[in-house]
Amino acid sequence: MTWPVGELDEVRRLRALAASFPGVLLEEAVLPSTFEDVWAVLGDPERGFPGLVPDVRTLRVTERHGERMRAAVRGRSGLRGRFDMVLRPGWCLMQSRFLVFGMGAVAAGDGTRFAYMAALRVPGARVLGPPVRRLLGPLILRRFVRRFTPEA
Amino acid sequence: MSGVDPDVVRRAQRGDLMALHEVLDVLTPYVRRLCGPIALQDAPDAAQEALIVVMRNLKDLREPAALFGWVRVVAVREAVRVAKQSARAVPAPLAEVPAPGDPALAADVRDVLDRLSPEHRAVLVLRDLEGLDEETAARMLRVPAGTVRSRLFRARASFRRNWRDEGAAR
Repeated sequence: MTWPVGELDEVRRLRALAASFPGVLLEEAVLPSTFEDVWAVLGDPERGFPGLVPDVRTLRVTERHGERMRAAVRGRSGLRGRFDMVLRPGWCLMQSRFLVFGMGAVAAGDGTRFAYMAALRVPGARVLGPPVRRLLGPLILRRFVRRFTPEA
Repeated sequence: MSGVDPDVVRRAQRGDLMALHEVLDVLTPYVRRLCGPIALQDAPDAAQEALIVVMRNLKDLREPAALFGWVRVVAVREAVRVAKQSARAVPAPLAEVPAPGDPALAADVRDVLDRLSPEHRAVLVLRDLEGLDEETAARMLRVPAGTVRSRLFRARASFRRNWRDEGAAR
């Protein structure tokens, strides 16, 4: 007897995870590149994240154990932090003392459904979150769409 | 179903992303397994909604050991809610839930599920997949125990009759 099992892709899982964080920024778009092309970039944080992921100027992986990693990140804003990371195809999470962010991606026809989550780990995140979300959400998403739009 | 280290649950309750990831990884297959037979083609929506409720309210869970029991309640209720919302037409509906070991379940469980209401599918899942008794199933579905019992009881006659008629027609 085989019972049907429900599907749950990485974008849906990221929506669920985001519910843990009050005031979270969660944005979604369909990127106009295949999942393989998108993850060739996002699956390589040291080369793929600088200039794409907001405020990441350099990222250096310092430890790696399977899909768990630790990375040193420096940002344009002066951000310097050690991040714990999880990285697997279609799924990336990062956490420092003050910040969490995550990305989920799944093939959607010729494109890629993509979700981006970010939240502050500080008191008041619930209040700070919504204005930050309104301000930064569309900007961040536009950056990813532009990066993965093939040149004409 | 593998457990989750209570310390990991407590870290997740404090908003530790790595711990939340670990909890989500363990819960995902369980929630998919519960939502699949109840919500059928709406199972992705049901599983997502169930996990959103779980993740949003995890911090309020008092005892980490109660995690799976609580998730089961949330997943079954969300699966029934989402399936009812989609208001799918049920082809040749069965009045009640087939009895344990009914040959039709082994032959084509998907066909049986397609012909039951979401609540009846939930009764079947709780009994046959989760091994719960009627009292517990009734509590989870927020119906009187007698309702679940009568559904199961009437199911035997109804389902067997249906199965026999179809067999005769073949």
